Amino acid sequence: MDAAPPLLPPELVALIADGISAIVGSSDATLRPSIMRAVGSAITPDGATVTVYLARRQSRQLLQNLSSTGRIAVVFTQPHSHRTIQVKSGHVRLRPADASDQPVLQRYLAHMEHEIGLVGFDAAFTRQMLAYDLADLVAVSFEPSDAFDQTPGPRAGGRIGAPSQGGA
Amino acid sequence: MVGNVSLGSVRACLEGAIPAVMATCSSDGTPNIAYLSQAFYMDERHLALSFQFLNRTRANILSNPWASLLVLHPVTAAYFRLGIRYLRTETEGALFEGMKAQLAGIASHTGMVDVFHLRGADVYEVHCIELLEGNPLPAPAPRGDLLNAVRRTSERLVRCISMEDVLNATLAALNDYLHIQHAMVLMLDSVTERLYTVASCGYATSGVGSEIAMGHGVIGVAAQQRTPVRIMHMTNAYRYSAVTRSSLQEVHPDLALQVDIPWPGLANPRSQIAVPVLSAGRMLGVLFAESPNDLQFTYEDEDVLVAIAGHLGSAMDLAQLTPEWGDSPSDGHGTPPVSGKALQVRHFKANDSVFIDGNYLIKGVAGAIFWKLVQDFTLRQRSEFTNRELRLDPGLGLPDVTDNLEARLLLLQRRLAERGPWIRIEKTGRGRFCLAVQRPLELQESP
Repeated sequence: MDAAPPLLPPELVALIADGISAIVGSSDATLRPSIMRAVGSAITPDGATVTVYLARRQSRQLLQNLSSTGRIAVVFTQPHSHRTIQVKSGHVRLRPADASDQPVLQRYLAHMEHEIGLVGFDAAFTRQMLAYDLADLVAVSFEPSDAFDQTPGPRAGGRIGAPSQGGA
Repeated sequence: MVGNVSLGSVRACLEGAIPAVMATCSSDGTPNIAYLSQAFYMDERHLALSFQFLNRTRANILSNPWASLLVLHPVTAAYFRLGIRYLRTETEGALFEGMKAQLAGIASHTGMVDVFHLRGADVYEVHCIELLEGNPLPAPAPRGDLLNAVRRTSERLVRCISMEDVLNATLAALNDYLHIQHAMVLMLDSVTERLYTVASCGYATSGVGSEIAMGHGVIGVAAQQRTPVRIMHMTNAYRYSAVTRSSLQEVHPDLALQVDIPWPGLANPRSQIAVPVLSAGRMLGVLFAESPNDLQFTYEDEDVLVAIAGHLGSAMDLAQLTPEWGDSPSDGHGTPPVSGKALQVRHFKANDSVFIDGNYLIKGVAGAIFWKLVQDFTLRQRSEFTNRELRLDPGLGLPDVTDNLEARLLLLQRRLAERGPWIRIEKTGRGRFCLAVQRPLELQESP
């Protein structure tokens, strides 16, 4: 992990760091998929580690799948530009969120109020869409092993960066 | 799972305000997430999702049909999660064409015209629906007026005894109860396979007699596929141009006369809905409404218009079946005197088009009817007619069972009224009318 070249170019890291829509998926042993929107996200400046925050009460199956199979897919989208990136991994780390996560979550919400506002929804709507109780949140961290450009158009589905084995 | 949630209660989430997202899983277990341009409610157990790209989602559902769909209510921000299973892909027919029209609107609205292309309608069976825990915002007040609108429209329609009553009542009801200001009723000509406008409201010109080809725009697609078509963001692909071509100039290339009735519709509509009008399994025509505003017609409006179109179809059929003998036409009942300069009435046999003083009046069956009437008037001094004799006249080319004679007479009556006071059709009783002519007629027949 330590010597791996960065998968995401700086501009995509910056886009994700800004705080844009994040949808999280996993699957169980019988290949049934699960899905939920994250109420917050973060990325390390080098792009190596992504963290998404999920509310337990809305994501029970998804969290169960993440902890049992470790498989994760996250789509990041900037709503008004349709800019879309999907990252995947086969290994995740789960931990309860705590007070130290609050600044990240608050910054994410502020950016999302702006982003969702650009497509016509007011801040009250966005706050409800991303509502959480800190004690109910789980932080899911992983190192993306695959990344795909999924902006609608001719390049959709194209792989970003060096492919890893067992990619999507 | 919170209680039992019906797919119907999720319909507001499928209107496209916030795209649905779907998770699928490949055969090696790798999950994949995709945004969906379009999710289409079919019935309480089935959804159709647009298939636009040969992508990972496509590969996944073909090898593993299970998917999980997340949708968000556009007002309350409540989440619903649906467990769905891929069944099949349709690439033609009512579902496909309805989705294609709607997707074109979505593409136009989102600046994706060159990107969005419907390859197929993927049909999914819905296995479970979860309303996720949360504290949703207040729901919009239910539109309780809609059921009442259907009731009041029905009450109006059951009182109608003629085709004219039926059409007037329908358009007035749309205006009064649904606040639809721009609407039309078009009838299907089963011989030419074209739809002609027989009534309209809210336009600068009535456009009565203007025609739409089967398959053309939302009206033509609704008629061809017998399915409602609803566009919430209008696009050029489905826009009608003001001028439609006729075939008369091909027969008479020298003819410089205007032979088409301009389409009366809005120049820049933003929302449109077309609902087929059927009765006893037959296509009668299309009920159409449009608006200069986006998002004007919701799925609730569609439900109401489909219900009204059902009443309309029955009422139209009944208006045709109203007993029409009774008294034989009583002639000599004060035919008004004819005076002044003669009107030149020219008839082209090729398509039964009729011109009065060089101005286009009508063509097709309505043209043939008019030509018979003016011939009887000038050669036999007749001015009183019955629907029955027209129905039995072999020269008019009325299809046997589905002749829509009432609609054609109404179209002719309205076209004449728009061309001036000199020749009018006036109802004189059930199934009876008179031709009121104020100036001498000079008839001219052309091939």
